[in-house]
Order: sequence, then structure tokens, then C-alpha cells
Amino acid sequence: MSSATWRNVFTYNKYTQIAARALRQSLNESERVQAEKRGLTILRYQNWENGVGGPQTHLVPPVEKEIKQGVV
Amino acid sequence: MLARSTLRLAAQPPALGAAPAGARNMATLREIELRLKSVRNIEKITKSMKMIASTKLNKAQRAMQAGKQYGVANSEVFQHAPAEDPAKRKLFIVISSDKGLCGGIHSSVTKATRRIFADTESSVESDSPIMVIGDKSKAQLSRALGKNLVMSFNQIGRDIPTFADAAGVADLIIKSDVKYDSIAIVYNKFVSAISYESAVMEVETEEALKNSPGFKAYEMEEEVTKDLAEFALANAVYAALVEGHACEQSARRNAMDNASKNASDMIGKLQMQYNRGRQASITNELVDIITGASAL
Repeated sequence: MSSATWRNVFTYNKYTQIAARALRQSLNESERVQAEKRGLTILRYQNWENGVGGPQTHLVPPVEKEIKQGVV
Repeated sequence: MLARSTLRLAAQPPALGAAPAGARNMATLREIELRLKSVRNIEKITKSMKMIASTKLNKAQRAMQAGKQYGVANSEVFQHAPAEDPAKRKLFIVISSDKGLCGGIHSSVTKATRRIFADTESSVESDSPIMVIGDKSKAQLSRALGKNLVMSFNQIGRDIPTFADAAGVADLIIKSDVKYDSIAIVYNKFVSAISYESAVMEVETEEALKNSPGFKAYEMEEEVTKDLAEFALANAVYAALVEGHACEQSARRNAMDNASKNASDMIGKLQMQYNRGRQASITNELVDIITGASAL
């Protein structure tokens, strides 16, 4: 196997998160629902300079739920 | 002449504070009634918050038992491979949460951080970077050590913290351009269901691991060491997050318990006052009626 090049792109933590997400999505229905809760994160962060905070940005942008049109 | 003097007497304003006796009792009775109603509502709210916090505490404690194992496994590597020279530039990660009404959780962690900075014996540089998780501690620290603040995170701690949260935090720390020799995580350690104390967890960086003499025994490759350092940071952050969450729930339960007790004490006292006032005004009215009747 050639040496892994993913280390140039992202960290080991991101690597495990991607693998975990793949595993969770491959589980059976009931286990998948339980496991999805363990993968949730609504983290927000902001950078600070000189005691002044920057804008808050979501780490994972929340999925916008589309408003379903009523069926006529 | 006599008429003028009686007029003058009648025109004099009544002595300060001496409203007609019956009217004053009625006013204070109304006030006491209002206070009683509002304190009763407060007691209901604090009681329900206490119930919610104690159910959440059970879940949080179970998660903490599981999560602490990650932290223990982490520190084992650092114990066998301690850093050679003491770190000069430490990155502080302060762990608290966004919600209030939980006693002294946030100020305990903030005070510990400020104490470390004020302690002139420890070799901590005064411009060591600080990263904060949680809005409450962020507000306190931005007033106290605002210049050192580098990054802040929030929206953690609504529910039990997940490893995804910790991995996200660790990734953001690594990707930021902050320079540090080692990392110190300041969090609340769970001592028992009614007490907690602030503690510091040390995490080493990749270079410190590589230079440590004990690490050669592990015979790791270069790339895997970098992976280990990153994963160790995420582990340590996860352990601290989960333990801090459990401390917060227990502190909130205790605070709401005390508040409910105080509220029920207040209700007892106010109820006594109200009854006494009511009986006094009834007695006064009776006296008025009887003297009026006897004067006829």
C-alpha cells in the first residue's frame, strides 16, 4: 500500500470522524438512530484579537430544512 | 378665634408615615399577598429545574465514567514519556458552558486560570494564549485576561458532550496558528455529587513527545506520532468536557435545591406575616365597630 497522503489534507481526528460517519450510516435502522446522536455537533467558534471577538462561525453549517409545500 | 385654631389643627398635615391605620394594613396586606404569589411561582420553577437537573445528572455521570477512561488512557502515555524541559509557552483551554444558574462552576474555572497567571513562581509567560469553551467563562475571562484570548467556542454542553465536539475543538486548535510548547486544560473535576473542584490536565505536543527520552521505547514512526498528539488532544478535551458537564448538572441541582429551600422558608414567613396582618386588621375593624356601637 502506498503511503497515505490524507495527512497532508486533514488531521487524524478528521480522519476518524469521517470513518465513524461512514460506519454510522451503514448500520441497521435502530442502531443507526442511536449512533447518529453520538455524532452530532453544533459547535460554533470565534477568533479573538486584542480582546475583541470576531464573527461566530458554525463548524458544521446547520442543514436548512426546506418548508414542504402543501399537497393540493 | 376658636374656629380658626380648630381649622389650623385640622389643616396640619398628619405625622409622617401615619396613614389612617386601617388603610395602611390593607396596603401592606396586598403587598404581602403579591410577594407570596411570586415567591410561590419561583419555588415551583426552581423545584422543576432541580428535578430536570437530577435526571440529567444521572445520564451525565454515566457518560463521565465512560469518558474518563479516555483521559486515563491518554495520560498513561504522557506519564511514561514525560517532557524533558518544562514548557515555557502553554496554551490554556478553559472548559465551562453557556448556561447559568449552576452555582460557582464558571467562576471556579476562571479563578483557577487567573490564579495560574498571577502565580509568579510558575514559569508561565504572561502572554500565553487562552481558548475558552463556554460563553459564561468567556465573558469573565475577556474582562480579566482579554489580551490573551485567542479563540472561543460555544454551543457545547446543551446535551452530553460528544466526541465529535471534542474532535472539532481539537482540529480548530491544531489548524490555528497558535504557538505553544504544551497544553493545559482547566476544568472542573467531579469530587462527589455535592462538590467539585477545579483541576488542570496537561497534554503534550508532538515535539515534546518526540524529544522525550521515554518515548523512544515506543518505537513509533514519525507520522503516527503526529496522529497520536492530535488524538491525545481530542481525548483529553473530551474527558474534560464530559466531567465538566457532570459537575455543572450536579451544581445546578444543588443550587436549585437551595433556592427551593430558601423559597419555601420565605413562603412560611410571609404566610405568618400575612395571617397576622389579616387578623390585626379584622381586630381593628371590630374595635372600631364596637366603640362606634358603644358610643351610641
